Amino acid sequence: MTVPTSSRVTEEALQHCADEPIAVPGAVQPHGVLLALTEPDLVVVAASANGPGLFGAAVLGRPLADLLDARDLAALRAGLAGDLTEVNPLRQTVGGEPVDLVLHRNGGLLIGEWEPLAGAEQAPASWHARLPAVLARLAQSTTTDELTAALARDVRALTGFDRVMVYRFDPEWNGEVVAEDRRGDLEPFLGLHYPAGDIPAQARELYTRQWLRLIPDARYTPVPIEPAGNPLTGGPLDLSGSVLRSVSPVHLEYLANMGVVASMSVSLVDRGRLWGLISCHQYDGAHRPSSTDRTAAEFLGRTASLLLRTVQETGDRDQQVAVARQQARLTAALGRAPRRPAAALVDGPVTVLDLLPAGGAAVRLDGRLHLLGSTPPADRVPALVAELLAAGTPVTDRVPRVMPDGADVAGTASGVLAVEVGGGRGDFLAWFRPETLRTVTWGGDPHTKELVEDDGALRLSPRRSFAAWSEVVRGTAEPWRPHEVDAARALAAALATARLDRAEEDDRLAATLQRTLLLESPPPVPGLSLAARYLPSAQDVVGGDWYDVVPLPSGRVAVVLGDVAGHGLSAAAVTAQLRHALRATLLRDAGPAAALGALNDLVARLLPDELATLVAVELDPATGEVAVATAGHVPVLRVGPEGAGWLDVDRGPALGLLPDAGFEETRTVLTPADRLVLCSDGLVERRGADLSAGLAVLRTAGAAAGSLPPQELVDRVLAALDPPDADDVTVVGIGLAGAGARPGR
Amino acid sequence: MSFGVQHTSVREVPVLVVDGELDGLTAPQLAEAVDTALADRPAVLAIDLSGTTFLDSSGVRQVVRSARAAGAVGTAVQVVCPPDNHPVQLVFGLLSIDRLVPVLPSTDLIGRDTRP
Repeated sequence: MTVPTSSRVTEEALQHCADEPIAVPGAVQPHGVLLALTEPDLVVVAASANGPGLFGAAVLGRPLADLLDARDLAALRAGLAGDLTEVNPLRQTVGGEPVDLVLHRNGGLLIGEWEPLAGAEQAPASWHARLPAVLARLAQSTTTDELTAALARDVRALTGFDRVMVYRFDPEWNGEVVAEDRRGDLEPFLGLHYPAGDIPAQARELYTRQWLRLIPDARYTPVPIEPAGNPLTGGPLDLSGSVLRSVSPVHLEYLANMGVVASMSVSLVDRGRLWGLISCHQYDGAHRPSSTDRTAAEFLGRTASLLLRTVQETGDRDQQVAVARQQARLTAALGRAPRRPAAALVDGPVTVLDLLPAGGAAVRLDGRLHLLGSTPPADRVPALVAELLAAGTPVTDRVPRVMPDGADVAGTASGVLAVEVGGGRGDFLAWFRPETLRTVTWGGDPHTKELVEDDGALRLSPRRSFAAWSEVVRGTAEPWRPHEVDAARALAAALATARLDRAEEDDRLAATLQRTLLLESPPPVPGLSLAARYLPSAQDVVGGDWYDVVPLPSGRVAVVLGDVAGHGLSAAAVTAQLRHALRATLLRDAGPAAALGALNDLVARLLPDELATLVAVELDPATGEVAVATAGHVPVLRVGPEGAGWLDVDRGPALGLLPDAGFEETRTVLTPADRLVLCSDGLVERRGADLSAGLAVLRTAGAAAGSLPPQELVDRVLAALDPPDADDVTVVGIGLAGAGARPGR
Repeated sequence: MSFGVQHTSVREVPVLVVDGELDGLTAPQLAEAVDTALADRPAVLAIDLSGTTFLDSSGVRQVVRSARAAGAVGTAVQVVCPPDNHPVQLVFGLLSIDRLVPVLPSTDLIGRDTRP
């Protein structure tokens, strides 16, 4: 009875199938006799029901000595002392007929299987004479296709089956016919796929232990073993090592549905994993290769299994060499341009896209994304890669399956190979492979499952239709090879190392540069009292602060404090340019506003990506006259006997913001009791608070310091604000020198 | 504090919502988001700093650079910063950023006034 399929019912039936006792069927096929014997007395404790037929007498309970002639018994006993696989098969004579005996031990019992030669097919002696040539042909194969084609041809020549196929499993255990040798009138099965369910997991597990299975006539009636159990263990008799083992009725039904009368299969095992099968079919009647020929077929299967790894690695070698060469060229390019790693990987004659076969590549370095070839849109790439990395599937050839919301980019990125570039900034390298629409032709619709009710329990009925059924597989890409993944990871590691080296070198250079920019202490200027403190940031990252004192031709003195946005070598380099340019414009002695205007033009025209703030103060030591101009800078604090307050300055925009910005000067006069405090934003800027809070503390500290000498004023201000060490901090204190410097005392 | 740039839109104007501390470390993320948004060549691109809790000079520089990059491809940038976002407003005020890009007090005004 066929019932409608629902997933619950199917699961139940699949479970039933998985639980089927294929290793302990309690029966054998009729082409031989199985006796279970105790050792060393060799008494029969269980036997297949056809035993008396072969031996001409009742067998159960009798010693083997009663059943075999003395010479055969002696040969058997001699064989028991050694490795049983070396004596199999043992040629004996039973009832006047030649019989092959195959021995193995299981569950404490010796299992003997006697198979009459009568009715078995024998390969011509010439085949065995050609064995060295056959082996040489297998060993000389340079590709998997050559190896499997030779295997199919030689196994068919040996065993005489109508059709011999080599069947290869994919990672999901679906099978594909990769080689075939067949009778000319049969339709080809080459290239057909079979769903994983056709060979259940427990059968596959059995196949890695037992290398050859034979069903000479699928129409057979099973011969029961009596008693069914193992008398030593009390459990069922384990027939997983038996060559006569009766197979699952479901499998027999499957063979019958395919029109197969006789079948044999030999395992192909690569490094312990079932790689595939040599599958042999006979259609027009029973077929039983002799035990000797089966041993030879198994030998070919085992030999091919050993060759699989070598052949597969040889096939990859050319690609491996190519990838290694590109990896070396990219690493060399990184070495030549250590400061521009992204350019080295993206703009050079060899790009990351050339490292390995892929449709597109992405490089994200220092937060900037560069795309090459065909990739998902720029706004999708970082999230896609981050998700795959987070999910632990950075190397996948089926993005839509591991990440359903990536299905819409499957066209360009069904395959993604992503590697992180160390540094914790979310940087990565990634390669993309497009969807490869594969047409898979199945030997019958793999989605059809028929359920039958059998004694009230549901079980799966094997497929009835094997008519070729084509399906287009979507959302998958060419798989990534291990050597490709290795090369990608090695390149990312080289990148991370190069970046680390560069960062250390930058820090050294920038620190050196900055030492040339910052004055150890302000130069002595007649009539002025100056104090300055510079605190570098804790991360040893050089900031863009600078200050300068420039005596002018008019006798006035310019004191400037600037801050270039950014950190590190580039900020230090910009700082150096601005400092020298400003000196030149100040020396024209046209006042601070004119100097700022000229500097602003320079930044806007020559350093368009930069931004800086600056305050410039010009003092006349003789009169105390002061002119101040500022470009987006933190305000100047004036401290005097009456307290502290911000110098009311007409502020200009930050340098570089607007090409033709005008700057205004503010003029005032300092008394000997007055002080000015200039600082960089590092002094007053705080995360989690706005600038006004820091400015308020500065003002209070300044007021408390009153008319202390500039050096003490600066120290007190720093103590009061205790700036965090995230940014560099510069503070300059200015006062008029002379008798009135300490009027408060 | 976590930093993030989200892509949204207001009245069909693409908006980059910048949350957290915009500084030298996080500025590249804004740069990348702007590059991505400019790929579509929108007439206007808004950068919403309502949720920005800290802005240093590197962060400001990035806003300026982004505005220029946008101008180079014909896109006008509008920055949104409510008056009560003092950490950002004070820095903008100090540097006169509003002389380069319009600083809107609310996302309600996005797309309504593109002139600086």
